[in-house]
Amino acid sequence: MQNHPSYPVLSQLLAKYPATGGALFQVYNDLTLAQRWTDVEVLDLPACKRAAIKGQRPTTDTDRGPSICVVVPCSLSESISTSWLRAAFTSLDPLPSEIYVAITSEDTSTVYYKISQGIVKPPV
Amino acid sequence: MSLINQTSHSKGSFKSSSRRAETARVYAHPIPIIFPEPTYKFLGLSLTRPLNPHCTAVFDPLTRSAWISNSGDATLLWQRGFFGKGDLSRSEPSWLARQINARQMKGKGFTSEEITAKRRAERKQFKLDRAKAMAAAAAEAETAFNEQGRVIAPGIAPDGTRIIPSAATWKPTSASVLSEQSPLDVAPGEEEDIEPIKDLEHLQLSLQEAFFLVWALDCLTILHPETNMSFTLAEIWNTFQNAHIPSSVPQLNAPSPPRFDNPFLVSYIAYHHYRSLGWVVKSGIKFCVDYLLYKRGPVFQHAEFAIVVIPVYEDPEDQANSPFTLQNAEPFTWSWLSTINRVNSQVQKTLILSYITIPAESRVSPTILSSPACFAHYSVREVVLRRFIPARMRD
Repeated sequence: MQNHPSYPVLSQLLAKYPATGGALFQVYNDLTLAQRWTDVEVLDLPACKRAAIKGQRPTTDTDRGPSICVVVPCSLSESISTSWLRAAFTSLDPLPSEIYVAITSEDTSTVYYKISQGIVKPPV
Repeated sequence: MSLINQTSHSKGSFKSSSRRAETARVYAHPIPIIFPEPTYKFLGLSLTRPLNPHCTAVFDPLTRSAWISNSGDATLLWQRGFFGKGDLSRSEPSWLARQINARQMKGKGFTSEEITAKRRAERKQFKLDRAKAMAAAAAEAETAFNEQGRVIAPGIAPDGTRIIPSAATWKPTSASVLSEQSPLDVAPGEEEDIEPIKDLEHLQLSLQEAFFLVWALDCLTILHPETNMSFTLAEIWNTFQNAHIPSSVPQLNAPSPPRFDNPFLVSYIAYHHYRSLGWVVKSGIKFCVDYLLYKRGPVFQHAEFAIVVIPVYEDPEDQANSPFTLQNAEPFTWSWLSTINRVNSQVQKTLILSYITIPAESRVSPTILSSPACFAHYSVREVVLRRFIPARMRD
């Protein structure tokens, strides 16, 4: 892993939170290399004991404008709770309307779930 | 099979016979070891040796997996048994092909990810068109009622044709096809001086796949990430059981105390059971289950069965003393079981509950955990779950 170009960016946070290091590495690579997000930065969320990733999704024609999204990685073997999700929201500044939770599996499958605060009506 | 500049592509899962023959030729071998046709026999025994590719992988403790960066080995392990997954792709490593396609063909590539992206963009456009048509028809019906007091059917024009598009008849307009451009912007004069893209993707094997290739088939060697020395089987046995401990270096010492309900052992037993029966076993995270079983492989047909691994302790004391909280060891609630069953019946998969019995430490001494011989003491029992609707299912 040390020879991968993403390693220098993440090495501090991988050492700080080894339990979620694998998920962070996998989600970071998926967003930057496969999904081609831009302006990607990595945030430290001590309240959730992990790092989160903030960046800009590539905009398609049907989007209303550029959207900055925050992704919080976690792995399938963990158990998370609503207090954990609430802590994720409050640790982020400015408070986002929604976050994405990226659940990773050991075979590198990643599933993303959009989590909003409260009930949100789906778009048309 | 190169995914760059392919000249023909199949529509969805309806393959032409030449395409099917090509797939059958590429994915002909179910395991990495090939048994060649015997050239001569002695007393009915074939004297040719099986061909073993001897692949190499590197263990990564943070992601708890084995990485294969050599593209020859990666292609071989994928094509002979569908082992592993590209870490930047849906299935086989195709990231480099997609990057090259994005440069050369600007969004007209034929890897499975590109075809899916195109299909999703078209469906999104169809939904927008349909929403617009519905809103316009509803507004028209409103004005007709307010002004003239007559009620018209909103979706039908006066001459009887549908205004609102249906999925079967909608065609993408040329504008929406052109708008599906790759986000990469290649300026006109750039074709000359392009540096080759470095392949940043690797094939990642889960611990279960790696152990199966090492122990059951003996066609894989795993290297230590820092020293590049190959692990012995005993070191692999210990390291994989310790992988759940968060660490950036492999933990080579035997787990203490050794436990029968180590999460790696329990999930490996399920994996080995189905693999050795000939199924192709892949991760089931997308369908809320542990494993998916394919009859021949993902490229042939969708998975028919979804496996949920349920560990059962022979002795409840072991569960009370356990340092692990294995998933599904507690009884399911009916609502959770119904949810998983619904999710899988929507995609036409049958749910199978796979009960793995964990032997009691009072009956079997944990010293037996020093080698894979301990697997003989576990058992796997399956229960097939199907939703039964008495009113409808009369045959």
